[in-house]
Amino acid sequence: MKKNKIGLDRTDFIIRGVTYAIGSIGALACVIPFLLILASSFSSEDAIRRTGFTIWPADFSTYSYSLILRTPKQLVGAYIVTILLTLIGTAVGLFIVAMTGYALQRADFPFRNAIMFFIYFSSLFSAGLVPFYIVMTQAYHLRDSYLAILIPLLMNPWLIVLMKNFAKSVPHEITESGKIDGAGDFAIFTRLIVPMLTPALATIGLFIAIGYWNEWYYSSLFLTSNVEYRPLQYQLYRVINQIAALRNTVAGSVVTITNIPAETLKMATAVLATGPIILFYPFVQKYFVAGVTVGAVKG
Amino acid sequence: MKKTLSILLATVFAFSLAACGTRGEQSATQAPSASASSSAAGPEGIDTSQHVVINYMTTGDIPNNDTDAVMAELNKVLTEKVNAELNIRWIEWTDYMTNYNLTLASQDGSVDLVGTASDWLDAWPNSQNGAFLPLSEELLKTYAPQTYAQVPAENWELCKFNGQIYLIPEDNYAQWINHGFMYRGDYAREAGIANGVHNWADLEKYFQYIKDSYPDVVPWDAKADASIVTQMSTGWNHSKTPNITIDGLRQEVFFGESKDNPYTVSRYFLEGAELVNFAQTMKKWNDAGFWREDVLNNTVDTREAMYAGQSGADQHHVSTWYSTVRPEMDKKQPGSDVGFFLFGEENSNVISINITHGAMAIASKSKNPERALMVYDLLRNDPEIYRLFQYGREGVDYTVDGNMLLRPDGFDNALQGISSNFWWGRNDSLELRQSNFAWDEYDKVTPIYAEMAVPYPYGQVIFDLEPISTELDTISNIYSTYMPIIVFGKSADPAAYVQEFRDALKNAGYEKAINEVESQLASVYGS
Amino acid sequence: MEARAKIAWHVKKAAKYKTLLLMCLPAIIFFIFMSYVPLPGMWVAFLRFDYNKGLFKSPFVGWKNFEFLFTSGQMWLLLRNTILYNVAFILVGNVVQMALSILLSEVASDRFRKTAQSIMFLPYFISAVLVSLLVYNLINYDYGFISNLVRGSGGEMAKLYSMPKAWPVIIVLVNLWQTTGYGCIVYFAAIMGIDPSIMEAARVDGANGLQRIRRITIPMLKPTFVILLLFAVGGILKGNFGLFYNLVGNNSSLFSTTDIIETYVYRSMLNSFNFSQGSAVGLFQSVVGFGVVMACNSLVKRIEPDYALF
Repeated sequence: MKKNKIGLDRTDFIIRGVTYAIGSIGALACVIPFLLILASSFSSEDAIRRTGFTIWPADFSTYSYSLILRTPKQLVGAYIVTILLTLIGTAVGLFIVAMTGYALQRADFPFRNAIMFFIYFSSLFSAGLVPFYIVMTQAYHLRDSYLAILIPLLMNPWLIVLMKNFAKSVPHEITESGKIDGAGDFAIFTRLIVPMLTPALATIGLFIAIGYWNEWYYSSLFLTSNVEYRPLQYQLYRVINQIAALRNTVAGSVVTITNIPAETLKMATAVLATGPIILFYPFVQKYFVAGVTVGAVKG
Repeated sequence: MKKTLSILLATVFAFSLAACGTRGEQSATQAPSASASSSAAGPEGIDTSQHVVINYMTTGDIPNNDTDAVMAELNKVLTEKVNAELNIRWIEWTDYMTNYNLTLASQDGSVDLVGTASDWLDAWPNSQNGAFLPLSEELLKTYAPQTYAQVPAENWELCKFNGQIYLIPEDNYAQWINHGFMYRGDYAREAGIANGVHNWADLEKYFQYIKDSYPDVVPWDAKADASIVTQMSTGWNHSKTPNITIDGLRQEVFFGESKDNPYTVSRYFLEGAELVNFAQTMKKWNDAGFWREDVLNNTVDTREAMYAGQSGADQHHVSTWYSTVRPEMDKKQPGSDVGFFLFGEENSNVISINITHGAMAIASKSKNPERALMVYDLLRNDPEIYRLFQYGREGVDYTVDGNMLLRPDGFDNALQGISSNFWWGRNDSLELRQSNFAWDEYDKVTPIYAEMAVPYPYGQVIFDLEPISTELDTISNIYSTYMPIIVFGKSADPAAYVQEFRDALKNAGYEKAINEVESQLASVYGS
Repeated sequence: MEARAKIAWHVKKAAKYKTLLLMCLPAIIFFIFMSYVPLPGMWVAFLRFDYNKGLFKSPFVGWKNFEFLFTSGQMWLLLRNTILYNVAFILVGNVVQMALSILLSEVASDRFRKTAQSIMFLPYFISAVLVSLLVYNLINYDYGFISNLVRGSGGEMAKLYSMPKAWPVIIVLVNLWQTTGYGCIVYFAAIMGIDPSIMEAARVDGANGLQRIRRITIPMLKPTFVILLLFAVGGILKGNFGLFYNLVGNNSSLFSTTDIIETYVYRSMLNSFNFSQGSAVGLFQSVVGFGVVMACNSLVKRIEPDYALF
């Protein structure tokens, strides 16, 4: 954001000082735990158990990474599945959400409240695990299908309301001018509205994408062991939980696990699953640019 | 418009559910009749002209070793013998309870054989819920003749619910899954416990010695898992009273009085000094620093800590000790000479395993129940198939020396061999002894245990929990709230805390539950 | 006759707006299939669910599946904890997110803003299990990172894992830490939507930074805040199981301040898998949430009709 130099007074400087201070503290609070994770993923298990987390790897070791990478096929497959799901899901979901959000904010659209209620209501009442599971597997036959993950995450009522809200900030005159030019509603949406909503679309796209990236729950329900490649976060979730589960419950069976470095392995998996986000986020940030929305009309 | 829509939806949903409902009933009734008609023809006359895939569901993580390759070989043999192949459907450990039950609740014929257990995998609730196919004796006789012959009639009795067999028990496999403590023999000797730890007093002495002599070792770097908490509570009970745990009642708060009086439910949790004694001892242990201050949230893996010489003990069962911990410790802490202290051994109160601790069931909507049984019969009784399925390929993954199974040098089970998690039909007649287990130790202690052990006395009762389900839920909650504090000595005044726990149990209807359990026991065993 | 006329009128209107209707259609179909079709399945809350008999033939048991929630005498505590935590999460969370996004976008340099944002976004990707591991390794008494620091500087570390009073603060902080960066995105996007010429005009009129924030930015963020609020109150009785369960675990000495409905239900059903009870709890939470949302929405409608959801 470019700021004019005029009008800076003392309060501005104070606010500025406070902002930098708070921003730095916040960032540190978030980055230090991450460094702890990173450092411990490169530590030996014994050291972690002895001294807890340190900011610098204690007793440097890449054992847990080599353990994960021992079967690179799984990891690469997980990345590919996750990336594809994220790309396709975000594109389709964003398109539908944007379209619906725009239509629902049109003050002249008579059914907008009824439709909004219909959509919103679904966020309040959910059928619960079993009915949803039975419908997904037995009515839609989505067991072992990536669609069982792709579809449920496409959108949610909250994103539609958010989109509707963003779309409100586009002056109604734009729609009117489009109508005068003889454009249909869909054409108005794609040609006039979409270009003005870049930050909103980036925001909502980001939310959808995060939903796909972080997904493990539907994977754990619908992708059985017949599916070879499961999404990344699900792999992570498994690694983190399975060791505990093993120790916890199998009261009676002989389960031999050889040398699994429990803690460092969890950390390494977390690093591998989160790392790409750090690379991806700045790319999205580019679209958070002020002024795109309204500049066009007011001139 | 909204109304018509909702009606439409309801119908769609109704259809989807109704459809599966009827399908299930059909297969349940069809299967036995099919067997009745073919049983006349005898095993030789079974029609196996159609090649089928039998899906076998088991808990476990998808293996990264040679399982696929071994399975390919196994399937060749299975195809030859019964024109079927086997596909393993893994229920991964992560959330396995949810996924196991969901899969059974929404069957669509994609599962045939189901590994189950009456104590840790809800075998009876699932039988009651209609997840499993009732197995008629003809069906078993025809399609699993070797298994049928092997399992004695009285054992089949233990697999019945409402007069019908639902489970095929793993009853020809000796295993010791009684819990206790694994401790280091070297430290115990240094502590002056020459014959090893065999009671709680020894254990206290042992822990105190470590605390005093090895500042870098936590006597027991415990983690307050629900299972550890339960085992500790039950372990004290078994060591200090003649009580016997009654399985299948959700939480281990129901004990039979003693082996001589098993059908009276003990009031251990309501009255008597032993529970208070336990709470006070554990408080003493906590104050002495036998575990970490934050033990209730500890994230350390106790066993790994023990391997690394950072924990003086770990708590699990006999099998884990001789098959895993002892051999591993001999490698990682040479001379550690890990011994086992069995809960209950100090007053000879040891119960041998319930035969439905591992069992196989047939899914109620299995499309090929007959062939599934045939495959099971081979997996359990055919020497070639059994060993392929349990150990992998002879010559590649193992060699045999007498009854010893030898793994090639550098063999790592996580990378090679097969993981079939077939804990539902192992067979001692075909078992080999894995050479890396601590058999000497095993042979030393198990005869002693066997001497003490009495058979599980409640095998025939399948409790109907419906009348007390609300009470059991509340009891479960109270137990999991109070017991961790008692077990790890975290209350300021243990006696008062135990009293609070007892009052809470009473208010939750624990006595009503005891009466109900007693009356159900009486109705099975007579009073 | 009248009804017929009404239908005809609706049809005519629908025809006029058919493009807009069509634009909403994919979303409507989505919610029908994903949310509404399974909805009648809520009925299992009133059944003893038999896998073979399904939804229609399983025996009806009335309110039995709800009983375990109320017989324990814990309900008051659970409701109090669940609601207070949610209120704290909503209020503290939104205030911090709003303040942070305003300050960052108003004052900070581009590079600082972007870096800070990216970094604060990270915790959102850490699963609850890891979060609890981190927290334990920071504050455990024996060797926690913070404990070591405190001891290193000569202080005495509190035994936090046996101090129930400390946990509301810890849990709110952890939640804040995990969701702030994510939550800021919405506010940030809303700020981006503010017409820069308004800001310009205010600046020319001599408004200083604080005045601009108070007079322009905050009012512009109000609708976003209201919507977030309306969405959040629907889940007033729903707790984040992963967070609470992993942070507190079996440590029942902390339950007085950390036990929420989800963790209670989990403990009650630990050894008995019961779908119907799970559905019963969900239904109870939904009905309460629905009531609260309807009340709030009509309240909002009365004050600022524009901000209401429907």
